[in-house]
Amino acid sequence: MFEVRTRWGKLLLQVVATVFVLPFLFPLIVMVQGSFAGAGWGNYSAVLGVPGFFRFFLNSAIIAIGVIVLVYVVTMLASYGFAKLHIRAREVYFWMLLVCLTLPEVVLLTPLFATTQQLGLYNTYLSVILPLAALQVPFAVLLTRNFINGLPDEMFEAARVDGANSFRGFLYLVIPLTRPIAAAVLIFTLIGAWNDYLMPLVFLQSQDLQTITLVPQFFVGEFSNDQTKVLASAVLTAIPEIVAYLCLQGLFERGLSAGAIK
Amino acid sequence: MTESVLHPQRTSRQAASGGRSPRGDARRHRRLQAPGLPWILPALVLGIGLIYYCIGYTGFISLLDWDGLSPEPEWVGVHNYIAIFQDPVFWKAASHTVLFFIVTFGLQTFLGLVFAVMMHSKIRLGVLYKIIVFVPVVLAPAIMAPVFRQMFAANGQFNWLLDHIGLGFLAQPWIGQESTALPVIMVITIWQWTGLTFVLYFAAMSQIDQSMIEAARIDGAGNVRTLISIIWPSVRGTTVALAILSAIGALKTFDVPWLVTIAGPNNATQFLGTYIYQTTIQLAHAGYGAALSIILLVVALVMAIIFQTAGRERTREKKGAR
Repeated sequence: MFEVRTRWGKLLLQVVATVFVLPFLFPLIVMVQGSFAGAGWGNYSAVLGVPGFFRFFLNSAIIAIGVIVLVYVVTMLASYGFAKLHIRAREVYFWMLLVCLTLPEVVLLTPLFATTQQLGLYNTYLSVILPLAALQVPFAVLLTRNFINGLPDEMFEAARVDGANSFRGFLYLVIPLTRPIAAAVLIFTLIGAWNDYLMPLVFLQSQDLQTITLVPQFFVGEFSNDQTKVLASAVLTAIPEIVAYLCLQGLFERGLSAGAIK
Repeated sequence: MTESVLHPQRTSRQAASGGRSPRGDARRHRRLQAPGLPWILPALVLGIGLIYYCIGYTGFISLLDWDGLSPEPEWVGVHNYIAIFQDPVFWKAASHTVLFFIVTFGLQTFLGLVFAVMMHSKIRLGVLYKIIVFVPVVLAPAIMAPVFRQMFAANGQFNWLLDHIGLGFLAQPWIGQESTALPVIMVITIWQWTGLTFVLYFAAMSQIDQSMIEAARIDGAGNVRTLISIIWPSVRGTTVALAILSAIGALKTFDVPWLVTIAGPNNATQFLGTYIYQTTIQLAHAGYGAALSIILLVVALVMAIIFQTAGRERTREKKGAR
């Protein structure tokens, strides 16, 4: 975008870029450096030695996968229905769904707390998966419906003439063609579910159900506020997220921008 | 309902026999569209069912004086709402939210735009820089909170850094005092979300017609002029989308102020989300918390409607321009 011809200009641009980027690196350096303070690698072995440490990762993975599967299935069905099928008062339903987009999760706390206790769902994975999925669905449907709207009607009509019912149209047209937007939904849902703090905090009481976002709090208790070990646990929990991002980098960026640009 | 659930089989059979039996339901045949209600039903049950049920329930609780557990809550009508409007903490939280949105959105937009332009300008190590700026987006705020608590503490690394670049006189207990706690929360949020702003702008800029930029250059426009007159208007759609995301994000703010400063000191980093959590869970004023939730919801809705109408006008303008 910027055209810089002189050598000094190029150097200046490089310096400015570096100066802007460094503050973003700083907290990560603080995290890694702090985790080695005092006992060095000993902090890590202490954290890894805590029984049930990997359980946090497993729980986060179970919840994230549950939310993703639920959101994906529900979103694909609904977006196809909204975009290509006949629904009376379709926009009314759509708007009712969009209203949920603005909903802060803290609003759900009291009713969900009372209801999950009555239904015996309190302190189960479902008490976190269901509300998280419900909160992710509106945005996912908004993105996916817009995307499917952009697919030509003639294609679906052609499929119909060739004898495909709406279910086969869904299976053989919608599912394969929506892959780019499905990536966006996947990424948004993954980040949302994996990083969520409030729902697990309130609804998961037993420690063997708790997720990685509750790890720092757990270690503050475990090591009576020994910051170096808390930071070591933060590094260990951050690593899978960074690795996942580096491996799926293309998918992340394509997915996010597919959502923003139509 | 039953009728519409039964419909798809009928229509699909019709469709299956497609062109051969033109005597089917003519209207539907012309549309060539099967009824879609069963398709959207799961989303409605999950989204609307669960969420609207909770909203209704919250609305009911907001009329009670209830600790969240006792079997006999007391009916107090709109008393909770009246109390909220006279509650200085509520107004404090509301003003923090507005200020927070303005500052974080403004700075994120600026930084995101600058990064996107610089990364499009063939600089070295661009890939590495991109990764560094984006990584915070995928890290959970809950996990980074202890890091920031440590970093901004009186004897933390931020003051150490200030000391070493000759700004030692600025050192202070950043999260321990009222005047700087809120800016710290804003800085953390900007650190976290600029990566997203940047990636979206970066993608939007790849769509700009290069010949337009070249034409501007031939007409003598410099870098800054091109940025203001060509690039900025071209990415307006992204800016509006980001404004909506930021505004909703500001209303939902909970993790960072709760985990870094516990909404303090003296409510200096109190947000609506943290205040609802505090009143409902810690102080066991479920009724009051529910009334706060309903107010938060109404604000969010009004805001969404404003943005939506603004967005519609934008698309109309766009269509007109074409």
